[in-house]
Amino acid sequence: MKSSAHDFSEAAERHLDDVHAFLVYLTGDRNVAEDLTSETFARALERWRRYDPRRGSARTWLCQVARSTALDYFRAEERRRRREGRYALQVPETQEAAFGEGLSPELEAALSRLSAADRAVIALRVVLDLDGESAGRVLGISTTACSTRLSRALKNLEREVGSGVAA
Amino acid sequence: MSQLELVQELRANRPVASEALRERVRALAPPPPRRFELNFRRLVPAGAGVALAGALAVAVVLGVLHSGPKTSQVQVQAPPTETQRALGQKTPIPNALRLSKDWGPALAPALGRLQQYDAFMRVRVDDMDELSRSTQDALRFTRHLGGYVVWARYGEPGKQGDSELALRVPIAHVQDAIAHFSAYGSLVRQRIVLKDLQNKVDNLAARIRRLEAALGKAQGQRALELRARLATLRAQRANAVRRGQFARIALTMVTDTQPATAGRFGRTLDEAGSVLARELEIVLYALIVSGPLLLLGGMAILGARAQRRRADQRLLERI
Repeated sequence: MKSSAHDFSEAAERHLDDVHAFLVYLTGDRNVAEDLTSETFARALERWRRYDPRRGSARTWLCQVARSTALDYFRAEERRRRREGRYALQVPETQEAAFGEGLSPELEAALSRLSAADRAVIALRVVLDLDGESAGRVLGISTTACSTRLSRALKNLEREVGSGVAA
Repeated sequence: MSQLELVQELRANRPVASEALRERVRALAPPPPRRFELNFRRLVPAGAGVALAGALAVAVVLGVLHSGPKTSQVQVQAPPTETQRALGQKTPIPNALRLSKDWGPALAPALGRLQQYDAFMRVRVDDMDELSRSTQDALRFTRHLGGYVVWARYGEPGKQGDSELALRVPIAHVQDAIAHFSAYGSLVRQRIVLKDLQNKVDNLAARIRRLEAALGKAQGQRALELRARLATLRAQRANAVRRGQFARIALTMVTDTQPATAGRFGRTLDEAGSVLARELEIVLYALIVSGPLLLLGGMAILGARAQRRRADQRLLERI
């Protein structure tokens, strides 16, 4: 089945918020997420001919492209930091709300302390409400592994929120 | 805060793309269409289809080209040879060039030099009657040419039969013999090996002359030794000369597996089937040879993918 440019515009309009939200959670930085969202859709437009609706929804496919774009960014950042002699990756410190406008400060802080891997599975399964199979496809893991990872990520989040409140 | 409350709060406050980002995405222009895009998933089945069609086409073309009349069906009466005239024999000797046109005339031995001539022939005859007739004829014809039979084997275990003959034919008549044997049916294989014996015989003759000269002057024990060596050399020379006088012919005849009356279409199918079988054999051979390499390559690709996935996961866990 051939995908047209018109179909892409529709898919981009419909799933822009999803891709953006996923990238916000993955990077923990709204500015970076915006750039990566734009980059994701540019890549997706280039590869749109290869998209096959029989193999998954457009939203899943776009999230796969977004994850791949973000990983490229992380690798480039890691190389850059290594060159600069900074061995620890730093979580960006921003004054504005990173993950959502109405989130409590404790939850915001807890999310920022989680790893990108935990935030990615939370974004896909909780925020975007993807089913286990689709989320697993985006992350390149099985449905069972995805469930295990979600459970662990939510526990970590709960613990981080608890430790933030206690502090 | 429980996990349920966390989930509710996360869902209620999901990030929303800004209008500026929306505009940036809307402004994306589609890339110019590519003339040719290499798509591996489509290329593999397409390539396999083309290869299959090519293999079938080659089989059909070769089948049609090789399904012409059999050489055994164009027997031509040739004038009798000098040998036949001398022997008063009625067995026709077919025209060598016409009957073995696919192979060309048999390699001729060099005149004036002693050569060892070995010929291996495989001829397919039409049926069991023809096999029996041809075997008897080959034995008779060999004797008529002044040759002899070293050994013969004839067998017809079922519908198929074969016969193997080891013959010695005077070197002067070897071409007649090969042409005659080729006419029994379709010549499916022929190999001729020529080996020069002249130098060997000349060397032996020179050594014999030297020994004879030495023997004239020798006495006692020395003379006995020289005589023994002389006898050995003479035997060797006689043996070499004999080998140069008689060509060795190994003639194998087999019955045709297809009915002799099969038409052109049947022969085309037969030939095409043979070509396809040969192609399949080559493909299987290539697969067997390259199989381990392909397997290793596939495992390497899968391993690299798994490693990359683990590296990605580790990277995401560090951030």
